[in-house]
Amino acid sequence: MKKKSFGSLLFLSLVLLIMYLPIIVVVIYSFNDNTARIPIAFTGWSTMWYQKLFSGRSGFGGALVLSLRVALWSVLVSSVVGTLGAIGMAQRTIMDKKHATKMDAAMEMLVTLPIMIPEIILGLAFMVIFNALGIRGNELRLVLAHSTFCIPYVFLNVKSRLAGMDPALFDAARDLGANPARVMRDITLPLCRPAIISGCFLALAMSLDDFVISFFVYGAGEGTLPIKIYSSVKVGVSPMVNALCTITMGVIFLAVALSRYLSSARAQRQKKLARS
Amino acid sequence: MKKILALVLCLLMAIPAFSFAEEKVVNILSWEGYIDADTLYNFEQETGIKVIWSPMDSIDSMLLKVTQGGGADYDLILSSDYSLNILREQGLLQKLDMSKFANYGNLNPTFLSQSYDPANEYVIPYVAGCPLIIYDPARVPFEITGYEDLWNEQLTDSVAVLENARVLCGITLKTMGQSMNETDPEVLAQMQEKLMPLYKNIRTFGDMESYTAVTTGEASVGFMFTPFVYMVQLEHPDFKVVYPKEGLGYGIDGFVIPAGAKNADNAHVLLDYLMRPEVAANNAEMQYYMCVNEAAEAYLSDTFKNASVMNVPDELLVDAEFILDIGAHETKFQEIYTAFKNQ
Repeated sequence: MKKKSFGSLLFLSLVLLIMYLPIIVVVIYSFNDNTARIPIAFTGWSTMWYQKLFSGRSGFGGALVLSLRVALWSVLVSSVVGTLGAIGMAQRTIMDKKHATKMDAAMEMLVTLPIMIPEIILGLAFMVIFNALGIRGNELRLVLAHSTFCIPYVFLNVKSRLAGMDPALFDAARDLGANPARVMRDITLPLCRPAIISGCFLALAMSLDDFVISFFVYGAGEGTLPIKIYSSVKVGVSPMVNALCTITMGVIFLAVALSRYLSSARAQRQKKLARS
Repeated sequence: MKKILALVLCLLMAIPAFSFAEEKVVNILSWEGYIDADTLYNFEQETGIKVIWSPMDSIDSMLLKVTQGGGADYDLILSSDYSLNILREQGLLQKLDMSKFANYGNLNPTFLSQSYDPANEYVIPYVAGCPLIIYDPARVPFEITGYEDLWNEQLTDSVAVLENARVLCGITLKTMGQSMNETDPEVLAQMQEKLMPLYKNIRTFGDMESYTAVTTGEASVGFMFTPFVYMVQLEHPDFKVVYPKEGLGYGIDGFVIPAGAKNADNAHVLLDYLMRPEVAANNAEMQYYMCVNEAAEAYLSDTFKNASVMNVPDELLVDAEFILDIGAHETKFQEIYTAFKNQ
């Protein structure tokens, strides 16, 4: 292996330090035992912010659960609608080997519109519509709004996956006597699976992350995490948010590590199989 | 592994949304944590009325929601003076039933009959505050007496200020002997010229940033809202608090009941509870704002009572000026402030 020069090593560590220093500070301060409203000094180690995080009204437990519920429902709705939509559109053009008409292009444009138009306009429009229709349920409003902007992520992912597929596969399946439902179940969906899953993860991230649209749509009751955190700025953001941040990062690190481990284990198994 | 994960996710989705059917509730829209959690818990234990707190992200979004027909979602809104006035003028509030209050008499008359509710029909004040100057006398070589001193050349890069276009433009107008709510374009142009050079003295903008800067000594002078001045005072009792000689800015946060509120009766019960002397004293101490309840003063701690930021003399409050809603002129203030910050 080529020996790295001292300069490049220094540069790399500087970049990494600047990237991760704020995160490290957040993690350290989540263990601060300073009880001032806005702690400045680090006075000692304690896990009290983690206990407060999930306790009662001032904690963030309820908001976390609401955020997760809204995200999961939105992902469920958008994965079904987005996948079916993409397959339906693809059936018109790719699988039936027809040229895309202007109509198809317009349809596709319409589907992706929710992520093209500014969030603030979408949020405002949702608020006006929900109020006019008398849709009051907080969670319902959030799920409807989030599904709308989550659908395009699944749709685009699945659509591009289908576009790269050989249409002969579907013809072959039909040739061998499979009815359309069977083709869908045994050929189309399994081939689309990676695209659906990555679309779902994108949608999940978008839904959990969303502030602007939720800000308008959200009615009365428990707020989603971003709303609750932003709303606490007036009184002073508590170190509970640091604790929440630390837990979130921990979960993500673990998930990434686990998926790395699983995929490398699978690769090794396949290598062994190939050798034997 | 996958099955367990799927099961957990399904369970999470399947738990029915919080339902409060048959229960007595009161829906409040306000900033997260603006009433102490223990106070609300005690209220729920005593009255059996459940408090549902809707976090309000900003005054503007609250105004938008309520004016767009969402007011009936809430039974109480806790917000700031000028926004309450907008709601009142648009007829989106209902009159309070004073006969339901046993503790209304506890309120300090200094904080009643304000411009947003001259006849005391709609608003119950919660807390009040004045943005004030606080400084470290050991590091500032002269005595600060007013806003004008923030421009002093000796304070280059050492002033920490709150982040609010109307307030910062407002104090500049005050140094010119004008009202904080002046809208005459000529006066505003002069104000902009006056405001611009303040920039070189400013170290940080923002409430929490300024509090941190002044507490740690990064800045020697702070101009901040009441709770942040008080927090600095708690850390540094030797710092001096200034009631600016040009006149004070003023803010009162209060409760209103929206016109379509479904649980107005429960809202009255909660308001009456919050006006009890011992509860009101605790609210002020927890929120670090001036106490608007006269009877509560006996219950305040000495540290709180003796802090100059909580003890603004009544004669100064009489002349203190609210930031008012100035409609379309607001844009001009935002433009000036943006130009100021981007120089």
